[in-house]
Amino acid sequence: QAPRHVNATKQTLPSDIIIKRTKRHLEELEVTAHIHRSNYTEPSITFDGNDEGAISGKNRVRQIVSDKRHLNDPNAKKKKSSMKVRTALLYRKNLATLIEESRIASLPCHVPTYLTAAAPPPQLPPRLLCSVCGYKGAYKCKKCAMPYCDINCQGVHSETRCERRVI
Amino acid sequence: MQPQITVILDNGASSIKAGLARGPEGDDDDQPKLISNAIVRSKGDKTTYFGHQLERCRDYSALHYRLPFEKGYLVDWDAQKAVWDGVFSSEVLNVDTAESSLLITEPYFNLPNIQDVYDQFVFEEYEFYSYHRCTPAATIPFGHLFQAGGPSPPECLVVIDSGFSFTHVVPIINNQIQWYAVKRLDVGGKLLTNQLKELVSYRQWNMMDETYIMNHAKETCCYVSTGFFEDLETCRSNPKKNSIVREYVLPNFSINRPGRIRLPNEELSTTDQVLHMENERFTIPELLFRPDDIGLEQSGLAATVAASIALLPHDLRGMFWANIGLIGGSTNFPGFYERLSSELLSLTPVEYDLQIYRSEDAITEAYRSAIAFVNDPAFSAHVVTREEYLEVGSNASRRKFPGWQSSSAPGDADISKITQESMIEDRGQPSRKPNRSRMRTTTAPGRRR
Repeated sequence: QAPRHVNATKQTLPSDIIIKRTKRHLEELEVTAHIHRSNYTEPSITFDGNDEGAISGKNRVRQIVSDKRHLNDPNAKKKKSSMKVRTALLYRKNLATLIEESRIASLPCHVPTYLTAAAPPPQLPPRLLCSVCGYKGAYKCKKCAMPYCDINCQGVHSETRCERRVI
Repeated sequence: MQPQITVILDNGASSIKAGLARGPEGDDDDQPKLISNAIVRSKGDKTTYFGHQLERCRDYSALHYRLPFEKGYLVDWDAQKAVWDGVFSSEVLNVDTAESSLLITEPYFNLPNIQDVYDQFVFEEYEFYSYHRCTPAATIPFGHLFQAGGPSPPECLVVIDSGFSFTHVVPIINNQIQWYAVKRLDVGGKLLTNQLKELVSYRQWNMMDETYIMNHAKETCCYVSTGFFEDLETCRSNPKKNSIVREYVLPNFSINRPGRIRLPNEELSTTDQVLHMENERFTIPELLFRPDDIGLEQSGLAATVAASIALLPHDLRGMFWANIGLIGGSTNFPGFYERLSSELLSLTPVEYDLQIYRSEDAITEAYRSAIAFVNDPAFSAHVVTREEYLEVGSNASRRKFPGWQSSSAPGDADISKITQESMIEDRGQPSRKPNRSRMRTTTAPGRRR
């Protein structure tokens, strides 16, 4: 007898793209100042708009915002900051650079660090929640693997969000 | 000459809790001043507010935040110095830093290169006479968080610190943090507010730039549900009118009216805009307990607590389960305590009791414990003076502020001493179990070990 042929709906999105998409979404959730989607670049570098001094390509003229404050304080001492302090004020590094420079990744494995302290991975499988309305998501979109709960939400999803979130 | 005044700075990523301890001769500031740790630009007011000046802001819409902290660690020293200048100035604390001592809090697992910069700013820029740098959990044993359980704080306790950037589970033995067992959950107030912004922007109004307003909506409307799927069914059954839905009326800054929840039978004018908060109310804080709902591959808070305690010495685990304390702003959600208790109850081994302590004000608890720490006579042994720093540099603070770098491994001399003591206690009168009805019901599902 011929084997039964199951017409399973095949997911057309490879799983590594799904993983990348989730990772990008989680990084977006860490940002404190949102930029417009069309200018999407690295979210982890802080940016302060155009009023903080000339920004010309690689040679950014850095201005120290803390000096611009006009504190009407009679106690304020107009002394020059030390070299180390001025360096720290001028050259802002992001966290990824600082973690690399601290070389905690090369410490022996019995030393607990920021990198080893993350919570353990989940024991239970994830619950699927509809990406449109938030109810239990029973089905996944064929094209982009986002969960949805019923036909109405599927319609909304394919009109608004499907494929736009695919990298 | 030892200064009389100690500045206490609970330097958080969202807010700084600042105040003064004035030594034995003066009154301490029992309640800190809460200062936003950010440089905020308001497009409506066309002004930039540094830290404490944010309270002068009139138009909170589309506020642009520049935070000194990134992912929980202090990286933008320019912004931080701008905020600190304001805090020390006559507008807030009015203190001469060169004549004062300082206690400042740092994040858990702070990087050594960042710690050096703390030293530089404290001694070279602000010229404090002396200072102590520690994590918020390290101050808790000196405070009153556990006072409901007995006159003196327990020797073994767990602090759950859920703040803006992340949530940590911190076990402590005899005032020493057990770093090998500290666990971090990358879910904090910031992630919850951003997730709320996304959901609302997709489903209703575009609020992606409205951090301040959505943060307020989150704090007003969100709660932690104890029955996630039951609440989801309630919302589903009757989308417009059910017991869970709340309408959040967006603020109107031109007439100076802040955002609030709509009261039943309240009339709305035609210019009012309303956010419908139904399953968002509980699916957002649910992320603390199920981060995998958005694809974050970490266990929830209860499982993380269990994993952390499982790394500790076997004989002491009972004391840890019985002394769990909550601090940090993100523990303020209604229902947080009940949900955490119910999840932890099913993970606690049958022979141990579960007891969770919370404070009247989770945000200022670390500050108030720090005041008690500063007034403790042992405090002066833990500070580094400016003199020492000018002689030996940051080595002085590496020696005096023991951190994760010099952490002890399980099986230390100290720990085996406590094990002996607790065994004797168990045989004698009952140990520090609180005098209230046991939390677990008789139908505990399944036995551990």
